[in-house]
Amino acid sequence: MFQSKYGSTGIVDKPFRPGKQEVALSAFAYLFSELVQYCQSRVSNISELERKLDEVGYGVGLRLLEVLAYRERGQRRETRLLDMLKFVHSTLWRYLFGRQARDLEQSNTAEDEYMISDTDLFVTKFVSVPREMGHLNPAAFVAGIVRGALDGAGFPARVTAHYVPVQGQPRPKTVILMKFQNYQAIMQRDKQQ
Amino acid sequence: MPCFTFYIFNRKGACQYYHEWQRLKPVRSGAGSQEEDFKLMFGLFWSMRALSSALDPKNPAKQQMGAPQRIGDGCSFNSFRTSAYKLHFLESPSGLKFVLTTDPSVGSLAEALQYIYASLFVELVAKNPLYSPGEPFLFEPFSAALNKYMRTLGLLS
Amino acid sequence: MPGIYSLWIVGRNGGLLYSRDFVQLPPIEFNDKLRLASSWFGMCGISAQLSPMPDSSGIQLLQADTFDLHSFHTLTGTTFMLLAEPQTPDAAELLRTTVYELYCDYVLKNPFHEMDQVIKSELFDQNVVALLQATNRRWGVGLPPQ
Repeated sequence: MFQSKYGSTGIVDKPFRPGKQEVALSAFAYLFSELVQYCQSRVSNISELERKLDEVGYGVGLRLLEVLAYRERGQRRETRLLDMLKFVHSTLWRYLFGRQARDLEQSNTAEDEYMISDTDLFVTKFVSVPREMGHLNPAAFVAGIVRGALDGAGFPARVTAHYVPVQGQPRPKTVILMKFQNYQAIMQRDKQQ
Repeated sequence: MPCFTFYIFNRKGACQYYHEWQRLKPVRSGAGSQEEDFKLMFGLFWSMRALSSALDPKNPAKQQMGAPQRIGDGCSFNSFRTSAYKLHFLESPSGLKFVLTTDPSVGSLAEALQYIYASLFVELVAKNPLYSPGEPFLFEPFSAALNKYMRTLGLLS
Repeated sequence: MPGIYSLWIVGRNGGLLYSRDFVQLPPIEFNDKLRLASSWFGMCGISAQLSPMPDSSGIQLLQADTFDLHSFHTLTGTTFMLLAEPQTPDAAELLRTTVYELYCDYVLKNPFHEMDQVIKSELFDQNVVALLQATNRRWGVGLPPQ
């Protein structure tokens, strides 16, 4: 029933593993811009807008984990926290942005917090946040993707995106902060494996 | 044939002389009537003149915008062009305005307009006893000399 | 000496959306700027109407005694104005390619920009200033006001 009647290949006949598929940055930028405007028309304040973007990203992250675990890991998914973080930092990032994230580090102040930082995420490349919107970072969408992927793998966390100014650079970097829930339980589970 | 039309306006904005060599877009589908065409044309370069002196980047003592401007005051403009034509403009010290439209590829005609003013208009119109200043005129020698000069400039075949 | 003085952007209804000077210029009051922008918008319309030849665009270049005003009309009706020293090479080209490209990138792709509203995009401002100042420096034109 998914077969096209004109004899060309239908969607189910296409291989599940496509090659490298890239989209034009402009096309993505316009789509993302519309997404933000759509979300904006449905919220009354900044944190709601961030949550809305996060929710959209969550769905993407959950599905991405599925497809990447199949494609890149031979149907296996990571079960240890550190491996999972590396998966996000390299595999997921490479799929989304074509390269690894710049840094992955553990917070100095709280051991259940990890940070992925990167400059020049193309999600925010063309976006100028107006001053009255203060701390809003449109990379909340990326934070949502990360939260979706982590949640799907069994590491529920609160994930937020922040702008952090870098000295000597005109543009701030974006830090994705992950605060894991039940960190002790996760650590124990890691040890048992 | 790269020259299209020629206008002379008096200092009050009335058209004294109009000649067209070529006009593929008739006045009817532009301004509507010849009267209206003159009025709009005068309004166009009048505001262009005001804009030029208001934008002038080299004059720190600019007049307030909209203040009455004396002839020859402030920064004027020589020409503008669109994709279809180029309009050359000259204002004489007595406030007469000379407007010539040509093909957009034509270079600067500032000197040519100066010549039309000083050697053709002054000699053949201003010195003609039948000419009453500020009124429309139609003098055969002036028209003939204008055509001849356009030919020497290569603007008319 | 060639040089670029300022860039203005006028919206589809003749409102001034953006203006920025790149060298020290005699100041123009903001209200006068608004009036100049909308009268330029009107003049472009009238000049096309009065054209002796069919299918005329708006004004592309105004040559005044002390400056050139390059103007570029996008297909959707936005007008870009670039005020430059007479005979500045490539000014029209700069406007039509690079400046327009920056506008498409940093203004139109910005979710917080609304069509025909004043351009507040910081990134657009930064990039335009960097580009045109670099151009001016190449010609040895002095540094900007701020």
